[in-house]
Order: sequence, then C-alpha cells, then structure tokens
Amino acid sequence: MSSIGLILIVTISLFFSGIVIRTKSVLSGRKGPGIFQPLKDVWRLFRKGAVYSETTSLIFRIAPSIYFSTVLMAIFFIPFGSYPGLLSFRGDFVFFAYVLALGKFFMIISAMDTGSSFEGMGASREALYSMLAEPAFFILMGSFALLTGYTSFFEIFNNLHFGSHTSYALGTLATFVLVIVAMVENSRMPVDDPRTHLELTMIHEVMILDNSGFDLGLILYTTNLKFAMYGALIANFLIPSGMALHYAIGVFIGIQILFAVMVGIIESFMARFRMNHNPQYIFTLSAISILLFLGVLLMLGRFD
Amino acid sequence: MTNTLLITLIISLIYMVVANRLYTYAAILSFQGFVLFGVSFIELTEISLTNLIFILLETVVFKAIVIPAFLNYVIKKNNITREAEPFLSNFISVGVVTAIIVASFLLSNTIQDDQLKRIFFVVSLSALFTGLYIIVTRRKIITHVMGFLVIENGVFVLSLAVGNEMPMIINTGIMLDIFVSVLVLGIFVNRIGDVLKEHDAEQLQQLRD
Repeated sequence: MSSIGLILIVTISLFFSGIVIRTKSVLSGRKGPGIFQPLKDVWRLFRKGAVYSETTSLIFRIAPSIYFSTVLMAIFFIPFGSYPGLLSFRGDFVFFAYVLALGKFFMIISAMDTGSSFEGMGASREALYSMLAEPAFFILMGSFALLTGYTSFFEIFNNLHFGSHTSYALGTLATFVLVIVAMVENSRMPVDDPRTHLELTMIHEVMILDNSGFDLGLILYTTNLKFAMYGALIANFLIPSGMALHYAIGVFIGIQILFAVMVGIIESFMARFRMNHNPQYIFTLSAISILLFLGVLLMLGRFD
Repeated sequence: MTNTLLITLIISLIYMVVANRLYTYAAILSFQGFVLFGVSFIELTEISLTNLIFILLETVVFKAIVIPAFLNYVIKKNNITREAEPFLSNFISVGVVTAIIVASFLLSNTIQDDQLKRIFFVVSLSALFTGLYIIVTRRKIITHVMGFLVIENGVFVLSLAVGNEMPMIINTGIMLDIFVSVLVLGIFVNRIGDVLKEHDAEQLQQLRD
C-alpha cells in the first residue's frame, strides 16, 4: 500500500507539463497542443540514440541517469495521506534535500565537462540559485518538525493539525514558500524562462545544450517528475490526516492539476526577472521562512 | 488573529525594502495602516469608547488613506523620480532586514516579563530598525519621510502592546503622525524635488563671470 504515492506521482508527472502548456496556450488565445504532447516528445527522444562530443568524459554520459534516479529516489520518501512512502526514517527530509542536491551536482559537473563556456555559466547560476533556495526549505521543514515533534515526512504531515488563526497563516506561508521553491528548483518563469533560446539568459536549458537523444529525453522527463514531486509535497501538506483513501486520491489529483494551472497562469502573466534581481527574490523566501519559524514558536507558546 | 496581522506587517516590511517604485512604497504604507487598524481594533478592549473611536479613525483615515494619497500627490506634483534609487543593492537589503528581524527576535527573547506580549516588541523593533535602514540607504527626501512613517508605525505597534494600561502612549504615537504630516507638507510647500542640494547646484550653473 505504501507504493500508492509513487504510482500517483508518476501518473501525474505524465501529463503535468502538458497541463502547464495547455493553460499557457488557452490564456494567450491559442488552442495549443494536446495534453500528452510533451510525453510524446519524450517518447520520440527515447527511441533515438545519443551523440557524445569527443571532449566529454564518462561523467557526461552517466549524469542524466544519476539525475533521474536521484529524483526517483527522493519520491520514495514522500508519503501519501495516512500511508508512509516506500522509505521512511527519522530525519529523512534532510536526506531528501541532499539526494536532490546530488543529482543537481552531477548535472552541474556534466555541464562543466562539455567545456562550453555557456554551459559553465548556466551551471554556476544553477548552483547559486539552489544554494539560495536551500535554507528556505530547511527552515520550513525544521519549523514543522519543531511544531509536531517528529522528524520524518510521514510523521510530520500526519501530525500537522490546523486549528487556530496562526496555523492558517502558517499554512498559507508554507504553501507559498513551497510553490516558489518548486518554481526555482525547476527553473521556471520568474527566475528562468524555459522558452528562451538566448544562451546568455538561460539557466537550466543552457546546461543541457549538449545532451541529445535518450539523455535529453530522460532530463525532460525528470523535470516533469520533479514538478509532480513538489506538487505532492504541497498536496500532503493540505490533505488532513485520516482522510479516507478515495477522497484523498481525488484531492491529491485536484491539487496537482490546480498547481499545474497555477504554474501556467504565473508563466503567462509574469515576465522573467533581470538576472541580478533573482538572488534577492530567492533570498526573500528564506526571510519568509524565518517568519514561519517565529509563527511556530508563537504557536508552541515558547514565545508570546 | 493579532499574530497573523503582525506577521503580515513584517512581510510588508520585507516587501518594502525590495520594492522599486515610490508608488509601491505608498501602497505598502497604506496597507500597514489597515493592518494597524485591525490590530488596534482587536487589542484595545479596555479603553474608553471615544478614545477607541478616535484611534480607529486616526489609523484608517490618516495612516491608511490620507498620508499615502498625499504622498502620491506630492510625487506627481513635484516631479520626483519614480524609482527608489537605494545606495545598496536589494539583495543586501533583504539580508539586512532578515538580520534585523532575527536580531530583534533574539533580543526580545531575553526579556523576562509576563506582562508584555513579546510579539509586539519584535514587530515594533524590526519596524523601527527597518525604517532607519530605509532612511540611511535612500537618497531622496521623500523616501526619508517614508522611512520615518515606517518607524512611526513601529512606535504605534509598541504603544498598542501596553495600550490597555496606558492609553496616553497611543496618543503620543498619534502626535508623531501629525509631525510626519508637517514634514510632508514641508516637502510639498517648498517644492523639494529629489534632494535638497539639487536646487542649489542648478543655480550654480547659471553663474557668469
């Protein structure tokens, strides 16, 4: 039963970016491609062979697979309603964050491995933005660990209860921080524009310029998977513990679709920030997480 | 509910430091006025009715509507540059304000007093120092006045913490409001643009020998 979260996340990831693209095309007055078009693109790439540059080494070849497997590994930890994830132990949210960081690290060194100056630039940006987003995630999860008294995803989400005004404020703040962290980690609109094809302004896209065929397909699919994973975290946060299974599945899918539509709306109505505005934007998240920590201390009565 | 409103006030401080346009500053000040109205409406339960009505009217009419509207009018009338033009980059500002919030948090945690609600102390101290920071790092006179308004909001929050016991302190906070309006009027009447010196420097260019 504990694999139900994994199955749901993988199912959602199949059409997540399809919903985002569809929302964007509807909002800009076009009909747009079908919801499964990104999946078809990935499938087409999977059937192709990869071309490797002569200057690259083994790292460039194994990095996409490691990236994919780390994200899959991270999904194992995400619980679903009253069922724990496939793996669950005390302090697993630290492991979760650093498994993701390992995948990102391999993507960064594989981008450096190609010897292209553009890719090195993108890699440096990606490293900077992940570094700035990391304290926000840890202060957020740490506050909730303090609030509930447990340190694993499953126990934290299962013991989180909303009741007072302060807890609703905290819930809103936490959802906000998680949504923006998801946007930053996936290099989406306010920070990075996935549609630009100007190397100077790209972040994630520029890192995978040299990847082709199967590897490129794997990277594209991993992005979808990562989005669905963050959506699942948000959904877990909002689903109350002890909800019946069929309701929980419905709410889960609803929240994921809502998240995808919201990403599409944000991307349609916001322009990409100038590069030097990004660090402050991401760092604001950490400031807001510190407020969340203050709110948790208020709720616990350690501070009044 | 009070806690939620006060946390919102701190978030508006963070936003104020990274905001670029002066109109955004005025909008945030008006928002803070409404938040203060909510806080004083909930918190001041033990003071006399006339005093309460006076305070609520002062927050919602004066802080939230009149002063921001007048600031906008002055910006338009005096042709003040619409950008905030800080000396330091916004990234450093966010870091400094976060440090201010954490520091005031740690500082107020050392107070051992059951009478005082410490959340008020945190919010007012951070508003005070943020206002000071805005004054120090911005070039234009009008942003100095806005920083002073933030400081004054902080003083108002602190006075709310003890407002039920000492209503006089709130009235002192309102006195500060009147002082600010005199400052804004001064800017308007003297037609001060971006900075004070600019006017004099322009006259020097007209010198002939």
